[in-house]
Amino acid sequence: MSLKDRLVGKLISSGPVGQLTERIKELEAEVQEIRQQNLRLAELADVVEELLIPMASRDQARIDAAVEAYLKSV
Amino acid sequence: MLAGSEDIVLDVTFEGRRVWSFWLLRDSVERAGHRWVEWPGSLVPFLDGHCQLAVLEHLTGEVVYDAPTQFGTSADQIAIVNAEGKALGIDKSGRMAQTFDTRSAEQVAPLLDSIDEVLGALKDAGIEAFPAYGTLLGAVREGKLIGHDSDADLGYVSKHENPVDVIRESFRLQRRLSNAGYKITRYSAIAFKVDVKEADGSVRGLDVFGGFLCQGRLYLMGEVGETFEREWIFPLGTTTLEGRTLPAPAVPEKLLEAMYGRGWKVPDPAFHFETPASTHRRLNGWFRGTRTGRDAWSRFFSTRRHTLPEGLPSEFAQFVASQEQTPARVVDLGCGRAGDAVWLARQGHHVTGYDFVPTGSLAAQKVAADEGLDLKVESLNLNEWRSVLGVGTKLAHTPGPAVVIANHVADAVGARTRKSLWRVASMALRQGGRLYLNVWVGGGQSKALVHPVPMRVIERELAAAGFVVQHQEIVEDQQDSGRQVGRLVAQVGVK
Repeated sequence: MSLKDRLVGKLISSGPVGQLTERIKELEAEVQEIRQQNLRLAELADVVEELLIPMASRDQARIDAAVEAYLKSV
Repeated sequence: MLAGSEDIVLDVTFEGRRVWSFWLLRDSVERAGHRWVEWPGSLVPFLDGHCQLAVLEHLTGEVVYDAPTQFGTSADQIAIVNAEGKALGIDKSGRMAQTFDTRSAEQVAPLLDSIDEVLGALKDAGIEAFPAYGTLLGAVREGKLIGHDSDADLGYVSKHENPVDVIRESFRLQRRLSNAGYKITRYSAIAFKVDVKEADGSVRGLDVFGGFLCQGRLYLMGEVGETFEREWIFPLGTTTLEGRTLPAPAVPEKLLEAMYGRGWKVPDPAFHFETPASTHRRLNGWFRGTRTGRDAWSRFFSTRRHTLPEGLPSEFAQFVASQEQTPARVVDLGCGRAGDAVWLARQGHHVTGYDFVPTGSLAAQKVAADEGLDLKVESLNLNEWRSVLGVGTKLAHTPGPAVVIANHVADAVGARTRKSLWRVASMALRQGGRLYLNVWVGGGQSKALVHPVPMRVIERELAAAGFVVQHQEIVEDQQDSGRQVGRLVAQVGVK
């Protein structure tokens, strides 16, 4: 790579284009973090529906059965 | 070594049987005016001996090369077969497999029975599934299984439009199939494998890929993200595969175009998906991440699971035993091959081991059964909250204090997964007891599956998770010189 090419590259990476590139990377990472919340939310909803609701019965046998059944299906 | 400037698909045959296909330009490199193609790694072990080798253009059948050929030094004829003598070919993943072109109609009948069975089970669970990917391609294009394919795929498009609802539906589907007696292996939040037992007792896994429509786009695990109309899927129509009528998308050609591009009608045994990065990013972000590290650990255990580890008990297990009364209720998180778990059970403790890959401890489980030890090994996936909270709930409800041990687990996972480790340990100690940790904290050579985590990081994370460290020391690892191991004992919220 010639000195000129290197200088142009340096100017681009440290100027507005470089800053925008960095900003896009950050935004992509942030979008991905938000996407990952879908799975977490679905998992929590599943746990509430399948485990927490049977727990409310305070019937130990029913709770044990619900936990065993749940673990078999995960 | 070949020559040419047009990218065409070439078949490689041994004794007249196709074993491998490749694209002339895409899969080769140019050197000294010729194209050089590397033999696939999975084929190389077979290449020692003589054979009639031919290279033909896939579409026209034009012969490019056909001659007796010698590989290596063996005087034997090359036979590309498995241990049972069954013919093998290279499948789309580059693995040696019993591709369909090596099988008779009688031999593929059990697969078609399995497809029928799983489609029926999915329908009973309220899901309108259909053959997908190569299976749909074969049905629509040729009315039969594709010769160079080796498995069958099913797919469905959810009626839901939000990833959360689509995932919850997949969880419910898994429960329904599991309750119906099928073994399910989950690949991602909306894709899994269903094991079907065939008439001869062998087990076949069928992959089921979930999908959904959202704002005019179809996303189907694990390669599709295209502009799409609901009417191209529903109401389902039918297609014919090997003489059997099966459900299919309303306009299957549109789905095949989304899967394979506009050239789907032209056979391509060397096809590689070129899924856009934006589709992968979406599918990864929404649905993947719960199997991170699993394949590497499965590979690690694959050659070790039938033997107990050497050098038992570990110094760590002896330290734990010296601190606790017998019998104790021991919970071994990340038990691996469960060698220490066997030793602790032999000392009279009641031991439950948990691991990402429970089959890694087959030898230990056999020893426990043979010796009548109080040891069982169960599944725990620290990447999956359902597993963490399910196991944690079970442990929290088990009466009496527990001794929770985690030997080189905190140093085998990342910071986010360690939070799950602390959570499940904390839940296991709801009725009292202690947590014992053995963690690589520094020094030594780098390793593939574990990495050092500074002691101060472990201390900080334990404090944040509500633990109080009661004992800590750094010792030299006896099995790996130079490696320093942090040993900690902690309790939940007790000073």
